[in-house]
Amino acid sequence: MGTTVSIELGDDRPEAELRGLIAGVCDWLHEVDARFSTYKADSEVSRFGRRELRLEDASADLRHVLEACADLWRDTDGYFDAYASGALDPSGYVKGWSVEVAAARLLAAGSHDHYINAGGDIRMRGNHPDGGPWRVGIRHPWEADKVSWVLALHDGAVATSGTYERGDHIVNPRTGRPAEGLRSVTVVGPDLSVADAYATAALAMGEAGIAWLAKRSADGYGSAVVTDDGRAFSSANLPAAV
Amino acid sequence: MRRSTAAAVGTLTGAALIIGVRLSVTPPEAPAVAAPVADLADSTPAPKPSSKKPVAGSKEKPAEKPAEKPKSGLKDGVFKGDAAANPYGRIQVSIKIEGGEIIDAAATYPTANDSATINPPAIATLKQSTLKAQNADVAAVSGATYTSESYVKSLQAALDAAKA
Repeated sequence: MGTTVSIELGDDRPEAELRGLIAGVCDWLHEVDARFSTYKADSEVSRFGRRELRLEDASADLRHVLEACADLWRDTDGYFDAYASGALDPSGYVKGWSVEVAAARLLAAGSHDHYINAGGDIRMRGNHPDGGPWRVGIRHPWEADKVSWVLALHDGAVATSGTYERGDHIVNPRTGRPAEGLRSVTVVGPDLSVADAYATAALAMGEAGIAWLAKRSADGYGSAVVTDDGRAFSSANLPAAV
Repeated sequence: MRRSTAAAVGTLTGAALIIGVRLSVTPPEAPAVAAPVADLADSTPAPKPSSKKPVAGSKEKPAEKPAEKPKSGLKDGVFKGDAAANPYGRIQVSIKIEGGEIIDAAATYPTANDSATINPPAIATLKQSTLKAQNADVAAVSGATYTSESYVKSLQAALDAAKA
């Protein structure tokens, strides 16, 4: 189990600096993997899950992650659930959060034009190296080499959850059964960890997730959805490329 | 003035392996993105968006998106598809054609019983449209790409390779 991360920096700076920035992002993501992976028995999350680590002894990062998961559980009517499988698995939040942190560090280090794509979830800032916004395609849920929407963003996050990749991996935490009804859910907004959690929650809700996403639109989170039977829906505030 | 770009691909597996790091320096005139498009798909813009629908029982007319061909052969007017059943009732999609192009698409939803709680907001904010399948010039791809194995087969991987 691994996630692949693509990083592109478009800043007009010496190569050595850019290489150093990328190395810093990679170091941070590897650190997150070591500390938060549920696949590593000695990770902080695994130790906390086995109650070998008390909450008060946990790192500030882990406490932040646990609080954020609790908030998102409430915000999503329980459909985003770090305990959906029984044991603690905050991966659905950690991935987006770690990329948010990495992108914020890039900005603090003076990179204004970049994107980080972690397993299809993207945080971007500034301009494409050729100028203009970053153009992001949303993968077509049946044709892997095609896109079904094209977005244009300068600053924001795009997260997609789908059942086409791991089959019925996403579980509806209310029923314990695989989610069905929606094939692909994309959420676009200011924060990748929130966008990712919303996409996962809506997918778990099934078709009712379409109405739920419509309500998130007012909070600045646009969405694009494809149902199992091939119907496509999108919110008016989806930043579609012209 | 030159522009430096840099990109890297790393994979967060147990071995914590960086599978590729690359740097390129190109003059700004270089259309860096032209190459990816050419080899991602047979460069012809898909003559028709072959929206694959796995389920037959749904709605659309042969609703080609008209962008590529000004003459789509679509007649002006409003057309309704067959009503399709889903867990919440029956849905019927209609499209409005003007000048041979789809200018609007809408769905009618059942209003009886429980379905009423589900549908009004969806109609209000999430608009239904024809699912497109296009070859587009993009810098990145968002998708459910959960594993290194699926990354290798992804459009994003092809983009990364083309930029290297």
